[in-house]
Amino acid sequence: MSRVVRVALAAALILGAVAAAAAEDAAPRQQIKIGFVAIEDDSRYEPIRAYERLILKTREHPFAGAEVAIDEAAALTRVLNTDFILERISAKSAAEVAPAVAAAFEAGTHFFLIDAPAEAFKPLAAAVHGRDALLFNVSEPDDALRRDLCAAEFVHVYPSRAQLMDGLVQYVVSRKWSNLLVFEGPSPGDAAMTAAFTRSAHKFGAHILAEQHFKPGADPREREQNDPAILSAIYRDYDVVFIADEAFDFARTVPYRMIRPRPVIGSIDLEPLAWHWTWERNGAPQVNSRFDRKTGGRRMEGPDWAAWVAVKMIVQSVLRTRSSVLAQQRAFILGDGSFDGDKGLALSVRPWDHQVRQAILLAAPYEVVASAPIEGFLHRTNVLDTLGDDEPESPCHLDK
Amino acid sequence: MRSLAVTLALLSVAASAPAVAKDTGLIFVSNEKTNNVTVIDAKTAKVVADIKVARRPRDMHFNADHSKLYIACGDDDVIAVLDVASLKVVGKLKTAPSPEAFVMDEARRRIYVASEEGSSLAVIDIDRNAIIKEVPTGAEPEGVLISEDGKIVYVTSEVGDVVHAVDVDKGAVVKDVVVGSRPRRLAATPDGKELWVTAELAGKVDIIDRAKFVVAGSVTFLPPGMRKTDVTPVGLTMTKDGKTAYVTLGHAAHVAIVDVPARRVEGYILVGKRAWGITLSRDEQTLYVANGLGDDVTIIDTKTRKARVSVPVGRVPYGIVVDE
Repeated sequence: MSRVVRVALAAALILGAVAAAAAEDAAPRQQIKIGFVAIEDDSRYEPIRAYERLILKTREHPFAGAEVAIDEAAALTRVLNTDFILERISAKSAAEVAPAVAAAFEAGTHFFLIDAPAEAFKPLAAAVHGRDALLFNVSEPDDALRRDLCAAEFVHVYPSRAQLMDGLVQYVVSRKWSNLLVFEGPSPGDAAMTAAFTRSAHKFGAHILAEQHFKPGADPREREQNDPAILSAIYRDYDVVFIADEAFDFARTVPYRMIRPRPVIGSIDLEPLAWHWTWERNGAPQVNSRFDRKTGGRRMEGPDWAAWVAVKMIVQSVLRTRSSVLAQQRAFILGDGSFDGDKGLALSVRPWDHQVRQAILLAAPYEVVASAPIEGFLHRTNVLDTLGDDEPESPCHLDK
Repeated sequence: MRSLAVTLALLSVAASAPAVAKDTGLIFVSNEKTNNVTVIDAKTAKVVADIKVARRPRDMHFNADHSKLYIACGDDDVIAVLDVASLKVVGKLKTAPSPEAFVMDEARRRIYVASEEGSSLAVIDIDRNAIIKEVPTGAEPEGVLISEDGKIVYVTSEVGDVVHAVDVDKGAVVKDVVVGSRPRRLAATPDGKELWVTAELAGKVDIIDRAKFVVAGSVTFLPPGMRKTDVTPVGLTMTKDGKTAYVTLGHAAHVAIVDVPARRVEGYILVGKRAWGITLSRDEQTLYVANGLGDDVTIIDTKTRKARVSVPVGRVPYGIVVDE
């Protein structure tokens, strides 16, 4: 949208808001439906186990994050004369996400929270292309969705891998721990994570001394690939080891088993995250506490945060435009809207690829060590754009 | 108590206190993380006492004769009552979960306290030590202010971006007004016409016309050399003549001086990290600011508009009041 059109629309919104405020009592009650779309048996939410009965990490769909935001909006339903209704839509597989969303759209739902892996997004983009719908990606970090798929109907609330890794590299560079060893796992996700990390290292001037491919196992004939000590002996010295291991199986064996006493970052120890349960600034303790109560003691994680923020963005779009017209709500979300995500700097949507600008938390198991952007990484307009694909770097130009 | 009616969370209770005040000249600072109140002698700027209260002490108010200091303690769900002469905790009033800011109406023997976790305004009967009513509010209610006649209590909802007007007789919200993002604390102009509310994430103060209950204007802040995103206004206080307001700007580490009638920023004073709590001395010559992430307070000369001295206190200082 051009600047001129946006200014004109903003003026129309203000007039609309005044009219809406005057007619508030007489207006019929508005209903805004929000579809939460998840896949049954999504492998991203399988528990990570050491053995069958020894669970290291449980992982849950972020529905409760959306519920917390709906609860928070309760007091506004009176002010806005609007009910926000969260519907759970379950698809059997990634392939069924697009038809499920299309069916809900026909039945009158225009806002969706998409909790699905990357492969679900391409057919989904085709299904909603040009329609009056806005879909919030709440759990998938895949950079290709932002760069190559580049669909106007999506808002990526969950951080991209580029944002996450930029945050991590900013931190090590700020500490002058710039000489890095990389351990890359066998899965495609590990490769994507390593690619993003490598790109970030180049961006911020860190040096990757060596990249080692590990192969989890105990076979002595493969010890050069499965023994952290030998893997880390390739280079005389280094500041930090970065490990990309979605399966988490190998990552947990690395700390304290290398040749040199060096910190580990990436999939273990210091992780770049959208959210962490120990974050205690910017109102975070209250949100963590509401989430804890809602779930009976679960700790809030990145996707929960993204689902919570997505619903808050929808509520704010109604609150600030006082409009029941989706086009106006969408214009606010994608345009001048700024949102509180309890991570300090205000969130907003990048006009070029619809990624939500946000801080990245760099978390050790029991402490958020730092929040990126790290002090000193500057940007000409918004320091949050030092994380992830800035406009000149992005191949996606939805605003042009 | 009527003269106290328009004071708010962390505002200068002392400034409007009646003549029977004890005038100890002591400054009281509540520290969220060390569960204590630090007492500073205003004349020497030295710490003279350290009082354990209950967990997470936050907002504080004196009663009318300044014999008692009431301290909301968020993690123990109580308002601790401190005897000002002996500096001892002499009682605790039960509250709803996580009490934050509050006001007292001594004529009705009531306290109205925002319950941050309960998303309500709790009405406490001081004599019976009982919650007599909980009025539901938007999520994370914070700033509380009572009208001059004691009939309306205003309360902000940090998450809901609204200011509620609660009719205390009906025990219900009667009006709402949408304000800037994350509204925190409130102050009323002495003429009773305007309500000033800090909007932390919007980086401004919104000015509410109390009669119409709509936002009638705003004042935005940007100290020189600071980023807009660091400007997070929270605390505010106003001079008795209603001409000047002082607003703490949180992460921007400054206090803004505002010409109230003109709604214009006159200047900025450098203070410590994440400045929140703020109060004026009775003669309005001195300004006290609690720096939440600096673990200290800044004492400012309002004439020269410069910090005189910083005093280390406990961890995460929140509120600050003066007994004079």
